[in-house]
Amino acid sequence: MEDEAVVRLNSVTKSYRLGSVSVRALTDVSVEVRRGDFVALAGPSGSGKTTLLNLIGCIDKPDSGRVAIGGVDVTDSPLHRLAGLRLNTLGFIFQTFNLVPVLTAYENVEYPLLMKNVPRRERDERVRRWLAKVDIEAQAKQRPDQLSGGQRQRVAIARAMAGDPKLVLADEPTANLDSETAARILDLLVEINRATGCTFVFSTHDTSLIARARRLLRIRDGRIVQHAPAGEVRQEEAFV
Amino acid sequence: MLTRIAFRNIFRNRRRSAITLLVIVAGAIGLILFGGYKAHTIRALRESTIRNRLGHIQIYKLGYSKSESQKPLEYAIDNIAEIRRAVEQDKRVTMTAAQITLMGLLSNGEKSETFIATAVEPEKDRLMGSQRLLSGTNLPLDEPDAVLLGRGLAASMHAKPGDYLTIMTTTVGGSLNAVDVRVAGTFTIGVKEFDDRALKIPIKGAQQLLQTSKVEKLLVFLKETDDTAAVHGDLQKLFAEKSWALEMKEWSELAGFYHQVVAFYNGIFGFLGVIVFAIVVFSVANTIMMSIFERTREIGTLMAIGTTRERVWRMFLLEGFVIGMLGGILGVVAGAAVATIINHSNMMLPPPPGYTVGYPLKILMQRNVFVTAALISIVTSTVSAILPALKASRMKIVDALGHI
Ligand SMILES: Nc1ncnc2c1ncn2[C@@H]1O[C@H](COP(=O)(O)OP(=O)(O)OP(=O)(O)O)[C@@H](O)[C@H]1O
Ligand SMILES: [Mg+2]
Repeated sequence: MEDEAVVRLNSVTKSYRLGSVSVRALTDVSVEVRRGDFVALAGPSGSGKTTLLNLIGCIDKPDSGRVAIGGVDVTDSPLHRLAGLRLNTLGFIFQTFNLVPVLTAYENVEYPLLMKNVPRRERDERVRRWLAKVDIEAQAKQRPDQLSGGQRQRVAIARAMAGDPKLVLADEPTANLDSETAARILDLLVEINRATGCTFVFSTHDTSLIARARRLLRIRDGRIVQHAPAGEVRQEEAFV
Repeated sequence: MLTRIAFRNIFRNRRRSAITLLVIVAGAIGLILFGGYKAHTIRALRESTIRNRLGHIQIYKLGYSKSESQKPLEYAIDNIAEIRRAVEQDKRVTMTAAQITLMGLLSNGEKSETFIATAVEPEKDRLMGSQRLLSGTNLPLDEPDAVLLGRGLAASMHAKPGDYLTIMTTTVGGSLNAVDVRVAGTFTIGVKEFDDRALKIPIKGAQQLLQTSKVEKLLVFLKETDDTAAVHGDLQKLFAEKSWALEMKEWSELAGFYHQVVAFYNGIFGFLGVIVFAIVVFSVANTIMMSIFERTREIGTLMAIGTTRERVWRMFLLEGFVIGMLGGILGVVAGAAVATIINHSNMMLPPPPGYTVGYPLKILMQRNVFVTAALISIVTSTVSAILPALKASRMKIVDALGHI
């Protein structure tokens, strides 16, 4: 039987050393994300959202506990050995967009496909398809500094999606955008999730966005305090 | 794609790249100019050493170079005409010249000076152009008792063209012999120590003085210096065939001063190369390091989305390589331009140590000088990028992503 969990974290702990003191960022976190899910990771600033996403994204290591992505336990593999997994299985969307400044929108989307050695024609087809989906066709030849914040994040979404990932991780993808643009970006993610069945985990502390998720993970002081379908959460928002 | 990124980043930060390129170009120009100057000087010295003095190959009686005999011409060639005819058959040979070296006393009746004479065939000596005539004429073709005096020797003898002097030496038999000679002219070869003792006499006169019909050596001149080894080999075969007991030396075995000069210039060139290398390393490493620092978050992003360490490393190495390429190409073009300007400006250099005449500054545009300069730029620049690139590829992704 195939494992339906794209992400499985088992009592994961992570702390940072700040000089001589050790700061606990995550304590005994166990999380499971199912295929096709659309998960909001909500919590106040400093609660551990970024830390958790970094562990799921295989760009940081837990102190203890186990991490499995797509059914593969990656806890013991060094991070640089996981470049292939990140390239082939994961997609990243960043709060600050993080496009390569010297590349055009087209080339930014093409980048992961080149790393994956996707043949030229298929590459071109995929880049164009995704640029069209995020509505950036007209700006394909522009560089990031010639694009608005919303447009840049659309390019970043196309870049994350073009590689055909199983799981997309987005750390506060809309925090640098105005609320109207943020809502449209989230619409886009929801739509992609629905159309492709790709799993999404995004973090936010914007309550208006939480309601758009199918599931909610609420985190506080490094612990998961709620794990629920998002619909049941709405009325509780007032009490947070 | 990595190439594209490397290229564009170089052009993105124009000012910084321009400064780095300027450093590389300046280094390349320096190498090309000095390398070209060195090549020209060495080639000129080589050719003048050969054509004015040594010939490409010298032929002696077998045993000549090993002998420590005090007697003049103990090892001498007797069948000179026959050898000459055979050697001159070779199409690569332009001329042969017989010579005898002898020492003795020169006297004007009031005082004597020791001299070192080169006995030459006057018509061959003219073709060699060994000396610069200061007064009088060259050695006449049919006057065995005429001599040329080096500048210093003439001054010491208070001799001028037309004067008569007496030369004395030991004959091949071991007795003393003297003959009166007419001073035909005075000359310099540009080296004071030599001019103070030098005397030239027709070989016929010297043979009479030494009471012999033999010669000490036969100088062989070639069209192309590069043929020396080949002709040497062929002559060896020829002599073996004819059972002539002869031995040979190539010019390079005889040109001690030439080799000193070559070593000296190579030393300076090496030193210059090291300096250029150091400056370029520093400059390029600095540029790449700044580039990496500014692009830390970009590097973190690229690694997060699945770029391997090796590719990040290669990307920055490539940046160093591209900078070196651009610098090398620009440097070669600029170096060629500057060299051309210098060659057309007829600048004169002061005489080198030991010489009394200066010579024009010329830069030889040799291909390997340009290739060396370009290669040093490219290799140095790439090498300088290795450590920064390694540092970039070893960054922790989360730290790099958190970098502002
Ligand atoms: N590199 C670090 N060094 C030291 N402490 C860190 C580091 N990164 C995070 N922390 C600490 O770990 C805890 C969790 O941080 P994290 O960035 O995961 O929170 P967050 O929920 O993403 O916050 P925000 O909403 O502000 O982005 C915080 O107390 C933070 O101060
Ligand atoms: Mg965060």
